[in-house]
Amino acid sequence: MTTIAAVGDVHLDEDAAGRLRPALGHIGDTADVLLLAGDLTRHGTVGEARVVAKEFGGLDVPVVAVLGNHDYHCDEVAEVTSVLADAGIHVLEGDGMVLDLGECMLGVAGVKGFGGGFEGKCGTAFGEPEMKSFIGHTVAAADRLKSALAALDCDVRVALTHYAPVPETVAGEPPEIFPFLGAYQLGNAIDCCDTALAVHGHAHFGSERGQTPGGVPVRNVAQPVINGAYARYRLPT
Amino acid sequence: MAEQSGTAPHDRAAELHRALAEDPRTSELGVTVTMRGEKVHLSGTVVSAERKAEIDMVVHEAEPGLRVTNDVQIVSAAEPTGAEDIR
Repeated sequence: MTTIAAVGDVHLDEDAAGRLRPALGHIGDTADVLLLAGDLTRHGTVGEARVVAKEFGGLDVPVVAVLGNHDYHCDEVAEVTSVLADAGIHVLEGDGMVLDLGECMLGVAGVKGFGGGFEGKCGTAFGEPEMKSFIGHTVAAADRLKSALAALDCDVRVALTHYAPVPETVAGEPPEIFPFLGAYQLGNAIDCCDTALAVHGHAHFGSERGQTPGGVPVRNVAQPVINGAYARYRLPT
Repeated sequence: MAEQSGTAPHDRAAELHRALAEDPRTSELGVTVTMRGEKVHLSGTVVSAERKAEIDMVVHEAEPGLRVTNDVQIVSAAEPTGAEDIR
């Protein structure tokens, strides 16, 4: 078995520094890897990224992350990514990595993703340039996720996003804002490969469990949903 | 505040929701705002008591005449007790 620990939407800044660390100190006793599903910071500043780096750096398991919309807010994405990387946190954006966990080669492909909505109730790349740009960003992200998943040479494949790939895990949010919470194209990308688990955040009022149309388990690990430092999922290897 | 009192409750709730999202002191997109007359109910989760207090501050500044019930919860930072088996 491989145990995945995962959390998203921790929204750290200086006033929340150290809050999660007590629960992370011995995470290696009960998990093989920690996945961070975006919105690690509050405003996406370098200062906040340093708090994240201190919180999740130097753990006894590999840490793999994607960024979320909050992490983009101050347009310091490159600097934020660099601070996290310096702390040993692997930040994925349309790419993947394989971790040698001993009994299993675990592949993780990650992308922030974007909105657009789900089957039958979604935006299309039609009309104004702003609308084409919106949906174009989503389609490009889904395409990169699909390519990254397909490129993984591993025993077990996991998809990591910030935005939701299915509507089930945003259930609980107002239906009117579903198109801002995720997109069906991400779910289709996940279904294109033999993916064992998909993990995302973003939907604070959503639900933890869902699955893609192809049957891949999806878990919303936004901290308000799991109400803890992280959630643990055991995968057969 | 007379002008705001004449605005439809859902518009006032929308403006407060927007203020909580866009004010850099809060930047909270995960707070639900419900208006009932001159009362506003806030729900959702944040990571600290300080952030809950900042929400009060931003709402009060936007609409000082409102009676605010802040039911926003502080999310747990505890280690999980179990694991789910994915099949």
